Amino acid sequence: MIYYLTLPFLMLFLVIVQITILDLFSLGRIGMEISLIIVIYAGFHLDALRGGILSLMLGFFLDCLTSAIFGLYTLIYIFIFYLSMIVAGTVYGEKPLLIAIYAGFCTLLEGLMIVLLYRFVFATDMLYTLPKVFIPQAVVVALLSPLLFRLFRSFEVFRHAEDTRPSRRV
Amino acid sequence: MLIPRKYQSIAVAAILLIVSLSILSYSAVNLTETGLLRKMVLEVAAPVENLINTSLTALHDAWKRYLFLVGMEDENRKLRRENALLAKQLNQYREGYMEGMRLQRLLDIKSSFQTETLAARVIDRKHTSLFKTILINKGTSEGLRVGFPVLADKGIVGRIIETSWHASRVLLLIDENSNIDALIQRSRAQGMLQGAGSSGCNLKYISRVEEVQPGDVVVTAGLAGVFPKGLLLGVVSGVSRKEGGLFQKIEVAPAVDFSRLEEVLAVISEQGNGP
Repeated sequence: MIYYLTLPFLMLFLVIVQITILDLFSLGRIGMEISLIIVIYAGFHLDALRGGILSLMLGFFLDCLTSAIFGLYTLIYIFIFYLSMIVAGTVYGEKPLLIAIYAGFCTLLEGLMIVLLYRFVFATDMLYTLPKVFIPQAVVVALLSPLLFRLFRSFEVFRHAEDTRPSRRV
Repeated sequence: MLIPRKYQSIAVAAILLIVSLSILSYSAVNLTETGLLRKMVLEVAAPVENLINTSLTALHDAWKRYLFLVGMEDENRKLRRENALLAKQLNQYREGYMEGMRLQRLLDIKSSFQTETLAARVIDRKHTSLFKTILINKGTSEGLRVGFPVLADKGIVGRIIETSWHASRVLLLIDENSNIDALIQRSRAQGMLQGAGSSGCNLKYISRVEEVQPGDVVVTAGLAGVFPKGLLLGVVSGVSRKEGGLFQKIEVAPAVDFSRLEEVLAVISEQGNGP
């Protein structure tokens, strides 16, 4: 219960930190999307309800604070979370290289979804952002994800040693 | 529960995807409308964002200020170096100017002599020893001999008592072994000026009947042929006439400040190699 009570505040704080402090380290338009790495991590290590709520909240707060289309990140994050759950059930999700490749892939997928949704909702062509924004961002996320996965894992072990599990099938 | 445990995850996923799609569809239709939840989130996030941004701005400003101060410190260091260099140069110019002025005064004296003179630099002083002497940087190779008189811009310094090829020792007139024929300029009374160490000189053999006053100028008499006649030796600083004596005791303050001598003029006279 504590998890669901503290989660909104933590996620809101995380999103605020991401769009303020971490934005300072971004090179131009290449952001450090920590929230996406958390969603992927949740897909690998949390159950459907906990991870789903976490992804919903992260997406929702990101929509509230940054998105032009409300619900865009909510849908994308929930989609990526469940995709990660499926992937976690088929591969061993502790290999840093695999984590990095998968995180990069998810960033590109996110970019593709944004481009497609913009195309359908606003009839705006944003395909040019894929090579300019999302490919460099995928590289950054891919590089950061193994480190952050290890950090989250250590934190999770420290906080809830009894609930931890290496990987989980759907 | 209604849903079997096996399909609970799929059910949750389906519900959440439907919720998110509904939100997206709703917002796509009502683009201009801001929902209540969104308003609440913005209301909560705005002060936190403001706080973080203010802190970051303050940090950024502090960093910029630090960089500015570092730059200023460098500039300050550079200016200090420049200032030290300029002060050194100024000091050199001032020294050069003052040296020029001293040499000019020596040159004025030199031009008043018929005989040849030679300017020399004082390279050592021996004021604390038994002998009151100075060492100059000219010697026999430049034409100096023992007995040659040595002058400064203010008056007589002494005479050369030792020479080598490139240096000479000058016995100052305040040395107790120094005896120079002198006369009082005002009364023309003649006597012998003897050194009295650091207290100056004494003018001896002036009769009690001669009228001598403090402030009277004492000049060379030119009798022995060592010193040219009429050169300034000093000024009478004290006179005493004791009962029963034949002579007065006259104290003379030398005209030259020996502690500040830097350049002197040696007079190359025919009477060299004297006593």
